[in-house]
Amino acid sequence: MNTLENSYLEKVTRRHFFGECGVGVGKIALASLLCGSGSRAWSAGQGGTMDPLAAREPHFAPRAKRVIHLFMAGAPSQLDLFDYKPELAKLEGKPLPPSVIGGQRYAFIRPDAAVLGPQYRFSKHGQSGAELSEMLPHLAKVVDDICIVKSVTTDQFNHAPAQIFFNTGFSQPGRPSMGSWALYGLGAETQDLPAFVVMSTGAGISGGSACWGSGFLPTVYTGVRFRNQGDPILDVTSPVGVDARLQRETLDLVKGMNERRLKGEGDPEIATRIAQYEMAFRLQTSAPELMDLKSEGKETLELYGCDPEKPSFARACLLARRMIERGVRYVNIYHEGWDAHSNVAGNLKSNCGATDQGAAALVMDLQRRGLLDDTLVIWGGEFGRTPMVETNPLLGRAQGRDHHPQAFTMWMAGGGIKRGITYGATDEMGFHVVDKPVHVHDLQATILHLLGMDHERLTYRFAGRDFRLTDVHGKVIRDILA
Amino acid sequence: MRAAVSLLSSVLLAGSTVFAAQSPAPAAGAVPDYQHEVRPLLSQFCFKCHGPDEKTRKGDLRLDVREAALSKGKSGERAVVPGKPGESELVKRILSHDPEEVMPPPSAKKEMRADQVEVLKRWVEGGAPYAPHWAFVAPQKAGGYAGNGGAREAIDFFIRERLKAEGLVPAPEADRYTLIRRVSYDLTGLPPTAEEADAFANDPAADAYEKLVDRLLASPQYGERWARKWLDLARYADTNGYEKDRPRTIWPWRDWVIEAINADMPFDRFTIEQLAGDMLPGATPSQIIATGFHRNTMLNEEGGIDPLEFRFHALADRVATTGKTWLGLTTGCAQCHTHKYDPITHREYYQMMAFFNNADEPDFLVRPPDFETRRAEVEAQIAQKTVELRTKFKPQAPEAGPVAGRSGEESEEVRREATVARAFSSWLEQERKVARPWTVLRPQEARANLPVLTVQPDGSVLASGDQTKADVYWLKYPLPAGKITAVRLDVLPDERLPAGGPGRAYYEGPKGDFNLSDLRASVGGVAVKFSGGTHSFAAKNTSAAAAIDDNLQSGWGTNGAQGQAHSAVFRFESPVEGGRLLDLEMHFERHYSADLGRFRIAVTSDSGECIARSVPVEIDALLLKAENALAPEERETLFREFLLRTPELEAQRTQIDRLRKSLTSYPATLVFSERPKEFPRPTHVHHRGEFLQPAEEVQPGVFSFLNPLPSGERGDRLAFARWLVSRENPLTARVTVNRAWAAFFGRGLVRTVDDFGYQGEMPTHPALLDWLAVDFMERGWSMKGLHKELVMSKTYRQSSSRMGVAQKGAERDPQNLLCSRGPRVRLESEMIRDGLLKMAGVLSLKMGGPSVFPPQPEGVMEAAYGKPSWKTSDGESRYRRGLYTYSKRTAPYAMLATFDGPAGDVCVAQREVSDTPLQALTMLNDVVVVEAAQGLGRLVAAMTGSEEERLEWLFKTCLGRPMAQDDLTMLQRFLAEQRRRLETGELDAAALAGKGPGDVKQRALWTSLVRAIFNFDESIMKG
Repeated sequence: MNTLENSYLEKVTRRHFFGECGVGVGKIALASLLCGSGSRAWSAGQGGTMDPLAAREPHFAPRAKRVIHLFMAGAPSQLDLFDYKPELAKLEGKPLPPSVIGGQRYAFIRPDAAVLGPQYRFSKHGQSGAELSEMLPHLAKVVDDICIVKSVTTDQFNHAPAQIFFNTGFSQPGRPSMGSWALYGLGAETQDLPAFVVMSTGAGISGGSACWGSGFLPTVYTGVRFRNQGDPILDVTSPVGVDARLQRETLDLVKGMNERRLKGEGDPEIATRIAQYEMAFRLQTSAPELMDLKSEGKETLELYGCDPEKPSFARACLLARRMIERGVRYVNIYHEGWDAHSNVAGNLKSNCGATDQGAAALVMDLQRRGLLDDTLVIWGGEFGRTPMVETNPLLGRAQGRDHHPQAFTMWMAGGGIKRGITYGATDEMGFHVVDKPVHVHDLQATILHLLGMDHERLTYRFAGRDFRLTDVHGKVIRDILA
Repeated sequence: MRAAVSLLSSVLLAGSTVFAAQSPAPAAGAVPDYQHEVRPLLSQFCFKCHGPDEKTRKGDLRLDVREAALSKGKSGERAVVPGKPGESELVKRILSHDPEEVMPPPSAKKEMRADQVEVLKRWVEGGAPYAPHWAFVAPQKAGGYAGNGGAREAIDFFIRERLKAEGLVPAPEADRYTLIRRVSYDLTGLPPTAEEADAFANDPAADAYEKLVDRLLASPQYGERWARKWLDLARYADTNGYEKDRPRTIWPWRDWVIEAINADMPFDRFTIEQLAGDMLPGATPSQIIATGFHRNTMLNEEGGIDPLEFRFHALADRVATTGKTWLGLTTGCAQCHTHKYDPITHREYYQMMAFFNNADEPDFLVRPPDFETRRAEVEAQIAQKTVELRTKFKPQAPEAGPVAGRSGEESEEVRREATVARAFSSWLEQERKVARPWTVLRPQEARANLPVLTVQPDGSVLASGDQTKADVYWLKYPLPAGKITAVRLDVLPDERLPAGGPGRAYYEGPKGDFNLSDLRASVGGVAVKFSGGTHSFAAKNTSAAAAIDDNLQSGWGTNGAQGQAHSAVFRFESPVEGGRLLDLEMHFERHYSADLGRFRIAVTSDSGECIARSVPVEIDALLLKAENALAPEERETLFREFLLRTPELEAQRTQIDRLRKSLTSYPATLVFSERPKEFPRPTHVHHRGEFLQPAEEVQPGVFSFLNPLPSGERGDRLAFARWLVSRENPLTARVTVNRAWAAFFGRGLVRTVDDFGYQGEMPTHPALLDWLAVDFMERGWSMKGLHKELVMSKTYRQSSSRMGVAQKGAERDPQNLLCSRGPRVRLESEMIRDGLLKMAGVLSLKMGGPSVFPPQPEGVMEAAYGKPSWKTSDGESRYRRGLYTYSKRTAPYAMLATFDGPAGDVCVAQREVSDTPLQALTMLNDVVVVEAAQGLGRLVAAMTGSEEERLEWLFKTCLGRPMAQDDLTMLQRFLAEQRRRLETGELDAAALAGKGPGDVKQRALWTSLVRAIFNFDESIMKG
């Protein structure tokens, strides 16, 4: 059993046997989690009580307390944004040698498709001299604050499996996502907002809710979606006709009845329910307060370039900052739409137009508020795009790029990551990683590490086995740690 | 007492076994029990490197088998020397402080506690006895129960015996109101009405409870409730999963489950029909539909996936789900390597996969039982309507002048016939110009890269089996003599194909589509070129010409004309000499699998222009016959063809088209179909479990540590299904009984309901579990019988309160593992929803059929791929039971998911039970709850009687019990306050009450109270 489990086990068992159970608030039956038995049979009224979201000590001192993951779903073209390959321009129109391609399977193109040169101009920026394409003018301003990793590789070459893989370490739905693991390991720091929040802009997400699901971990670790339509959190608004006073009086009646029930039945689970209702009531206030951007200055809104009333990626970035200020531990912002099978140039223009300013503003804003030091920001997609062109008259496609799992680029900032460096490299065609490969499992190990957790010790017993985010893989990328 | 408490706490800490079975507490100094104390430790700390998996075994040492543990290891030392811990390497190593020596090694990041080390040491001291794993030995009725009161009595015997040993007493029976609510939810998923509760509470009959149980077991809602549990295991959903997550039709299987459970189909038959119903002799449609169980796997339709890779994932899911559902084993662990803990080898995992790997996965049309009669009727109607078509022609105008030999005063009938005759002959004339003499060829050889091609009696070829994104067919046809000028390809519909064919596209693209990317020919071994292609129909962006352009990205397809025959004609650049062999190579490429399902080849030596037409070759042959050589029935055939094809009657034929469609518009559900014997699909071991790394081939086989397949039995899926439910199988009955126990009591006798292996927990009451398992089999695997026994037991009927006599048990055993009190569990999501609807008087009891779209908050679907809309159903469909709610895997129905309902991604043996603020928000604010509150508010407002009487009824309706004085006081205070606020207009009565008849303030008042009651803890608890 890992020591993390041990320490809270002891705490909880002591608490339980010294009669504390059932009187505190926010306690939830969590026998299996605590015992590591992995049985999903734990349930209400069955004993060992403790708040699964209570803040817990990490394995070691963390560098990051919070994570904001900007997930560029659909997979942006690294070759036109970060990984400049002049050789491709020279080879344009010719196929790559089969020796380069190996046995790679493709989604749409044939392996002998011709090369497509960079679609945009690149130039060097900042003191670090990092190369960025002209599509990322805002990111260029914070380039010395970020770490660009050009050597990321993944196992999956289709969107849904690759997105699920990036989030859960496994290509099929059913495993916990990184945010869920983070909450399982560390608990929450706020009682007024969900500790793991998911927002999205752009198209619908290929991987669906499996990307932020809690898998076999308790449901309480599932990411909570903040929606663009209707209530930001499902049902956070009282029904029409129910004013604040009626809501409060309703809750008071519920509480009164439940307290009497607790006395009569003696089931500590009732105390948990009372606490959850109180938190629900607080959410009804804290969620609208969070969403209300009136208190943000004009300068800030301009920095992000967002309309406070209209859902957008930039607004989601600003909301993310407000969330972490209020104790939210893990934020996912999905922007789906980078799947440029045709007209990669046009695709980048519109998606960079929608995301570049918001992402860069987030880094700047966190920086100036002193939050970047212990907030990890991650930007990237689920895989890369091919150096070869995708053309298909049957599908009406031209000048696109297909899926490319071998190499892609991500950037990270803050939270214990070195600033102003570029890590790893690909070959002249941008096809294979030739220097310092970073597998998705390595990134996952690194993210947990920055949060103060050893990815090999953060385990959960399910179906007879101790599961980890990184399965049996993953190495912390020490070279990029500050 | 002290000993027991410390055992309990240490057990909680160890997290593996809870309450050593049978013996309350080990006597100090006794040899630790292998099964309960030793193996859990060995399993947790040692087996990963010294267990069944020889590939990762270190130092050649194996500790899960006694002989191996006792023999000399690689180091020359013996790990275990019975009775001599000092000489045992195992003991030395776990005691060592040297990081080079100590076990488990520091790299394992698992440290043993001193008390755990002590257990192993004492075990070696005591002679290191091993014992076979309890779950792998067939169960027996033993343990001292000798009564003849049946399972219910046995349950109470074993439970109470154990309680007595622990110094605990059972709780008294719950009061009648609690009991009827508990058993109604458990058996039917629905609460009793206030009237039902009163009737039961006041029933003086001695067998009142049993009568109630029998009534509930006989109600159709029982089947719905228990089908839902089975759907969790089967990972049922109404969509395909992954990115596109498009709809699928498999609800006929869901309805099959409901019916089977209501009919109390014995669990062994229930198993066999679902796993291998298609293989039963003379399989009925119902038995074929049953095989949908394993078609609930997900289907990835994302652009550009490899269909075979996701087929492999589906197979792995089938093995894992079968393991979990029937065997209670975590078979999935052996996909990548030999199981680290259980004796399942890597190879045996694939042997189990082989049982499932030999099935094809077609759609099956669910036709009514009288389909054949109906078909005959429709065919007759079509024939009749066709004949009648001739009457649709306009009669020739009389003023057209006298016809030769006639007076000019013909009847309308005769004048119409004249029109018909003229139209027919002009059609004949037209058609004869383009008809060509075609010779249908029969292939002498038909093979493909992967699909199975079989030649049909009419010379056509039918494809079945697996597909890739680049399929190739190779066909050899003997050519007739003469100069062959063109090849004709007829693509044919067939009801065995997706959407009726002619193509076999089944995912991502339109069902029944195909793409002939390239057609290549050689004659007598020499390649010949085509110079032109025509088609009778082509889908957008496709053409027959594109099928001979040497570009594999273009081609010909007939999407949009599924279920219809079409043709393409390809002319040779120059005529080829017949009498030799024609080799055809057909390529089918797209970003999805798009090969052809059924087709036929014909050739001609006609030297004229050949244009592809949809008119069949047989008709062409008649058209080319001399008028006087036509037999009357041949002429009739031509005439019928004319009627069905002449453009003049286009509009008149719609009725016929409609009739024809009525024969194909049945739902197609997903099923299994065992492959033909000649075309078995080989199964391989996959290195590291990876699709792209197949290794040696394996034959189907069962796990060697369990009972063998009966000798002489063919190793197929049917044999496997029978093996699962054979009396010798030690696991299936235990696992099934345990899952039922967990459903009623909130947790199983084995808490790890899905793991009966070494890593699973020991049963709290092993003798009881075994007794029930054997009894279950002896009583013909009756699920209803089992459920009845469980709910009839005194153990089930106990009060669930932790106060009073139960206090001691609650303190000592908070999880109620010993069953010293009744179950208290949160209701499942569907129970909560259905219960509220029932209370509001709007629940629909309509059974079966396509899933429905009840209201849910907007924005649930916004993150799903393609942002699909949720078209909320109208009327009754808003209020169907929760199990009929459309289940979309990537965006599950919000309320069900919030209360831990599964998404259908994986097999779920027992749902999580969580308690979150989001649940509180749902109960307070969700549209379904609000509508139900308004509905029930309306009912109460419309009642006659005093406020107190209404409160009494409302309380009982919602919470199933009479109101206490304290309750009344609190509710009345709330009501008074809301009444005041409504009177003053502070509260918006119309908004609160919603639409509906009756006094709006009264409705608003009661709605506000109902909404509060719905949120009481006891409203969503089974107490």
